[in-house]
Amino acid sequence: MLIKDVMHSPVLTVDVGVTLEAAYHIMLQRNIRHIPVTQEGRLVGMITDRDIRLATSPFAVGGAKPTDTPVGQVMAQPVITGDPLDPVEEAARVMRQRKIGALPILEGEALVGIVTGIDLLDALLRLTGVEKPSGRLEVCLDDRPGELARLSGELAQQHINIHSLLTYPCGEGTVTTVVRVGTLDTRRIARELRQKGFVVQWPPEIPSKRL
Amino acid sequence: MSVPVIYSPQYQLYNFGPQHPFSPLRLEMLLDLLEHLGHPLQFVEPAQATREEVRSVHLESFVRRVEAAGRGEYSPDFDHYGLGTADTPIFPGMDEAARWLVGGTLTAARMVSSGAAREVLQLGGGLHHAQKDLASGFCVYNDLSVAIRHLTEQGLRVAYIDIDVHHGDGVQWIHYDEPHVLTFSIHESGRYLYPGTGHTHEIGKALGTGRKLNIPLEPFTEDDSYLEVLQMGLEPALHWFRPDVLVVQCGADAHFQDPLAEILLTTQAYAKIFPLLRQYAAAFAGGRAVYTLGGGYSLDATSRIWALLYLTLQGLPLPDHLPEPWLRRWGTQLGHFLTHTLFDPEGAYPEIPRKAEIERRNRQVTERMLESVRPYWS
Repeated sequence: MLIKDVMHSPVLTVDVGVTLEAAYHIMLQRNIRHIPVTQEGRLVGMITDRDIRLATSPFAVGGAKPTDTPVGQVMAQPVITGDPLDPVEEAARVMRQRKIGALPILEGEALVGIVTGIDLLDALLRLTGVEKPSGRLEVCLDDRPGELARLSGELAQQHINIHSLLTYPCGEGTVTTVVRVGTLDTRRIARELRQKGFVVQWPPEIPSKRL
Repeated sequence: MSVPVIYSPQYQLYNFGPQHPFSPLRLEMLLDLLEHLGHPLQFVEPAQATREEVRSVHLESFVRRVEAAGRGEYSPDFDHYGLGTADTPIFPGMDEAARWLVGGTLTAARMVSSGAAREVLQLGGGLHHAQKDLASGFCVYNDLSVAIRHLTEQGLRVAYIDIDVHHGDGVQWIHYDEPHVLTFSIHESGRYLYPGTGHTHEIGKALGTGRKLNIPLEPFTEDDSYLEVLQMGLEPALHWFRPDVLVVQCGADAHFQDPLAEILLTTQAYAKIFPLLRQYAAAFAGGRAVYTLGGGYSLDATSRIWALLYLTLQGLPLPDHLPEPWLRRWGTQLGHFLTHTLFDPEGAYPEIPRKAEIERRNRQVTERMLESVRPYWS
């Protein structure tokens, strides 16, 4: 999944000369928290609702700025940006490391989109596959080539569609694999996987269950 | 006065094959059990639902695919409509078979809406996963939603109650924005279990907001906790919503023997749940209710639970031991012993070490659900 698949486009921007009050009203009306700031069409900064509230607050260092101050005086710069062809995890990493809530996306000099934390949460939901009716299997695999193929081959043989598959390291030399599968009968699948030697963490085996 | 029962031998046509859990054997065992208990089934034959009736909730494109699949035709987009999957394999005549089940639930709803009956038991249906353009989780057409649509078109307010162990997602999504349909589903949490939905934050949208309720239970929930939160969540909702009729999906797969899920109800719990729902129908909906079947994949537990449902609705006494000839016949056929009593023996499953935590979490999740819908109950 790439940034271009999750970003918002076109992007709402304000000019450096727009007042803090006007920018804040735009945020309230559109229910957004971040606006890229442009000068003669080029991206020069970012302004957030928090920047505005801090700048106009009596707590502001050096005193509250008047509400008709141009955003150019308050905006953050230089701007951290992303590329439409970056993977979403790259955007997540930059936003996490720099503690920022939105990333304007540039193609060359042109501002083509914006990605926010909310967009990344949507991306996470899509990656986990929960948007389709499905059951969830958790299988612990050895961290070596061919293990995933063995698992997916087994599911394919049983004509089970995989809606999504995530893996993450879970210990010395093993990975936990979370598979969302298009079946109601995950217990039967788990039983057959166990018979083939897989370590299935969920659903668990229960001795009292019988047909 | 006895409660009319809708049934048709054609229900047995809804058959995905001998290896599939949604087996017509469940009905056969149930009817045989009732007969052995001295209550041979007296039933009303339903009208098969027409194509137009199915279309009241399903999209034309989807119905066409189901018809084509049932005629043995092939289309590369069947998968996209949930047809020909491991759960909902294609079988000859699947459109007609599914329309018999829809017809049964619709006939039951018509009897209630016309005043011909107050309570009706539909011995079939309950296909709550089917969505408007998707066959899913053993369900081709959504009989419940077709019946609910009929009832709301008659100007009635419908409270749909789903006790199947899986979330009633199809019914919920089909009526998600409708103000005159309350949906209430109590099920094992979708964290792991199919279909993965039914969280407390799914509360409806637009005019339906606050009218879609979900209680996702912890795996390994037992009788007491289940009954506690069922009452805690459902009673205030019905009290506020004032339905004209209840539509109840009586899936039997929350039983501890069920092979597809992890909730641990005993038949003792069902012997409390069914009278409770009847009591709610009397207190909040003028006694009007349609009961359907649903999931239930342990043949042993399912036939006992649905026999319990039947006996409860007819006001018949509950037997202790089950008839020997029935036990012998089906035990031999299935190749394992069946439980000899209607009620499960004590200590039938191992003690659950997390019991107290499970109870606390279920209570908390129910409170959270009520907190999120109550602001819309004005």
